[in-house]
Formats: sequence, C-alpha cells, structure tokens
Amino acid sequence: MILAPRFNSRPVISLQHVWKRYPNGTLALRDISLEVPAGEFLFLVGPSGAGKSTLVRLLIREEKPSKGKIFINGLELGRMKRWRLPHFRRQVGLVFQDYKLLPRLTVYENVAFALRVLGESSRVVSARVSDALATVGLEDKRRKYPSELSGGEQQRVAIARALVHAPRLILADEPTGNLDPATAWEIMQLFLRINAGGATVVMATHNREIVDMLRRRVIAIDGGQVVRDDRSGRYHEVLPAAAVHL
Amino acid sequence: MRFFRQLLFTSNSGWQSFWRNGGVTVAAVLSIMLILLLGGTSLLLGHALSQVLEGYKQRVSVISVSVADGTPLASVSDFMADLRERPEVTNVRFVSKEEELRRFASDPRNQQLLQQLDSNPVPAKIEVSVRHLSDVSTIDGLARGWRGADRTNPTDYQGDFIANMVRLSNYLTIAGLGLFAVLLLISVVIVMNTIRTAVYHRRREIEVMKLVGATEWFVRRPFLIEGWLTGMIAAALAVAVLLAIYRPFVARFQQDLFFLPLAYDPSFVVPLGLEMLALGSGLGLVGSFISVRRFVRL
Repeated sequence: MILAPRFNSRPVISLQHVWKRYPNGTLALRDISLEVPAGEFLFLVGPSGAGKSTLVRLLIREEKPSKGKIFINGLELGRMKRWRLPHFRRQVGLVFQDYKLLPRLTVYENVAFALRVLGESSRVVSARVSDALATVGLEDKRRKYPSELSGGEQQRVAIARALVHAPRLILADEPTGNLDPATAWEIMQLFLRINAGGATVVMATHNREIVDMLRRRVIAIDGGQVVRDDRSGRYHEVLPAAAVHL
Repeated sequence: MRFFRQLLFTSNSGWQSFWRNGGVTVAAVLSIMLILLLGGTSLLLGHALSQVLEGYKQRVSVISVSVADGTPLASVSDFMADLRERPEVTNVRFVSKEEELRRFASDPRNQQLLQQLDSNPVPAKIEVSVRHLSDVSTIDGLARGWRGADRTNPTDYQGDFIANMVRLSNYLTIAGLGLFAVLLLISVVIVMNTIRTAVYHRRREIEVMKLVGATEWFVRRPFLIEGWLTGMIAAALAVAVLLAIYRPFVARFQQDLFFLPLAYDPSFVVPLGLEMLALGSGLGLVGSFISVRRFVRL
C-alpha cells in the first residue's frame, strides 16, 4: 500500500453553512454543514440532481460556494488563490464514473501522467506507478491501452492514478456507476483497502446494495439539503424505492 | 532538473498537438503565411519605392542653371563664388557649352536632331549640388534672379514633381502601416481560433491534467508552443517565397521599367527575413497567449 496518511485532530473535511447557487439561478445546495474526520469512509447518497456531484465539485474547488466555508485539511477552499489549487489537488485522489483515462496512453502512461506533469524523474515515476498498479492489481496490464481493458480494469487504472500522489483524501463520484454488480464489489474492496491504509474516502453513489452491505457513515442529500447523517447507515431508509437506481 | 523535465514534457506535448490538430493547423499556417507574404511584399515594394525616390532625390539635389549665351565669364565666376559661400551648397561646377553638347550627343535618341544642327544650341550650365532637397528651391530662386541666367529656361528645377513624389511616398507609407496593422490583427485572431480548436480537441487531457494537479501554466504551455510553431512556420514559408520571387521580380522590373533606378538589395532581404520570422513567432505567441488565457483555466 503506497498511502502514507498523516492524522491530526482536525477534521479532514469541514463544511460550514454552505450554499451553492448557479448563475442560472438553480439552487444546488442549501445550508450544508458537516464534518468528516480523518480515516472515515463516507457515502453521499441521494437521487439524481440532489446535489451530490455539486458537493464533490465544491470539494475539489471546481466550483466556489455561493455562501459558507469549506475547509479541507484546514485550508479554506473559497479563499484559496488559483495558483495554490494544483498543490491542493495533488493532496486529493479523484475517481469518477467515466474513469477519465487518456485513450492514447497505455495503463502505465495514464498513471505516470499524474507524475510527469509535476516533472518527476523517470526513476520516481517508475517506482510509484509500479507501486500503484500493484495496489490495484494491474501490474500485468501496464502495456495495455484503456480500450483493451474491461470497465472494472479501467476504473482500477483511474484509482491507481488517484493513488500515485499518496493522497490523504479520496473523493469518488459514482465510481461503480458504469460497472456490473460483481465488478462494482471488487472496486469497493479496493476502496476499503485504501481506507484501511488510513485514507479518508468520500464516495457519492447510487449503489444501494453496496451502501447497505458496508454499513458505513451515510449522508443523504435531497433537494440540496442534508436530510440524514447516520454513523452506520443504509441507503434505503430515506429514499423511496422508485428513486433508487442500481 | 524538474523544470527541464517539465519543459521537455510540454515541448513534446505542444509538438504533438501541432501535428494532431492537422487540418486546422495547416489552414492557419497557410492563412498567416499569405498574410505575412502580403506584408513582406508590401515592405519590399515600399523599399523599392524608397530606392526609386532616393535615386530621384539624389538626381534632383543637383540643380542645373543654364547660362545665357554671351554672359561675361567674370559674371559667371562671381555668381559661382557667391554660390560656394552658401552653407546649403556642397559643390558648384561649370559645364561648358561644348561639354554639354557632348553630353547631349551621347544620347542615341538625339543623333537625328544633331545632324540637322549647324551650330551649338545648348547653353553652358552651372551645376549646383545642395545638402538637402528642400534647398534646391532656394538655389532656383537665386538663379532666376541672376542676370546671366538663360531667360527661356533658367534652371531644370522640377519642384512640384518631387514634392508630389514625397507626398505620395508618405501616403503609401501610412496606408501600408494601416494595412499591416489590420493584417496583424487578422493573424492574431486566426492563431486564437486555432488554439481554441486545439484546446477543444484536448479538453479531456486538460481535464485530467487539472485533476492530477498540473499548474495552470503547465497546461497552457503546450498551446503557446503550438501557437509559436504555427506563426514561425508560416513566417518561414513566407520568407522562402519572398526570397524566391524577389530577385526575378527585380530583374523583370529592370527589364521593363529600365528608367526607374530599382536594384536587387540583398542587404535589405536578410533583415527583412529575420524580422518576418520574429513577427510570425510573436504573432503566434500573442494569439495563443490570449486564447489560453481565455479558454484554459483551472
């Protein structure tokens, strides 16, 4: 495991009365306040359009809150200068539903890309990419292109890329959304191992089975508001069955 | 080392993007090449025109005063001495009637006329060289006031013609500069749109770069390199075409319009080529800079 998180008493994530209104007038989030301590595994659940993805975008500072404050590792994102953003993003591992792999690069190059943009030496790149690929179990596929991999394998590559910076926080937006249940479960095992290594994991998901099976902290969002925050929660307790997508 | 590795990464990235963006890049290179070619041609024509004007200026900065037949030699000497004392005069030379006739006879077009003459009709001349073209009119005024000057045609001063030529040259320079400014603006817009297209084609890569923590200028640099390459290659092509056509053009000009003193000037071509390369590179950089500032943001 390549993660080397450092714990402290501060919450990794802290949202204080966060509101988000888009320029077209849509109110995506209303008065969200929550704290995520280091090492936690947190599910964000809710129907489509509830505000989960907006929250993830706020957490990586792709968007700024209209009101309220967001702290990640003690840094207030709303006041962060643009030139400090890259450094901040290197401390956060990001995983998305559509993998966001570069089709012209091999598995190895896709993962190495995250280090090459920082100008790391070939020796460092080689060691850390090999480590990350070993963590996700894809060492033997390093020369393959994304198009030659299954959906689950592509998501593993994306996770390996998120891990090469040894982040203390992993943000995942619907990482199992494009995967069959068995593959989704394999990916979840991977996230659990990463979490067990000390990283905080925040995952927005629609996958009821996984949420119910793992019984981790669940924050349910609906209409841009936190409607439930359970320490050991389930998916279906707050949502009508009709709104649930597997 | 880290900086050089990043530079290598961005250079490769820019070079790849330049070729991958093929169709748009070729269109941009050709458009800018044509614009620079137009600009370069106008500069060459401007230079040719100034060469011609310079030739005229040199020619007309010598004014000939015709001496009336029968003027005493002493009067001529006194007038020449007066002229030599003037600060604007650099040289004064007497041309006798015989010498002037020989000059007249040296032109083959005058042979038939000469055969019909039984005496020497051409007057003696005083050739006065002045420092500045504007001084010619002063000397013309003095000559017209001198009693020894030929009454029918006292001097060969062509004031209006020269003034008109200088005015035309000034107008052409202003018009040329205006046209050049418009062409430069068009070039910048072409580069901007080329880079915008390149940004669109590489939006996925840019998104990944941002997510893995690349800095804003790291993401932008390949596009600057692409813009620079576009401008420089366009300029290099334009310079190559200009070099290829300049000499034959001048040769043809000399053949057809032999009375105009236009000459091939290699000393002008080399700096012009370098300036065009610098201009092309600059245009590429400015266009891509404006574009990435607008379209590539973290």
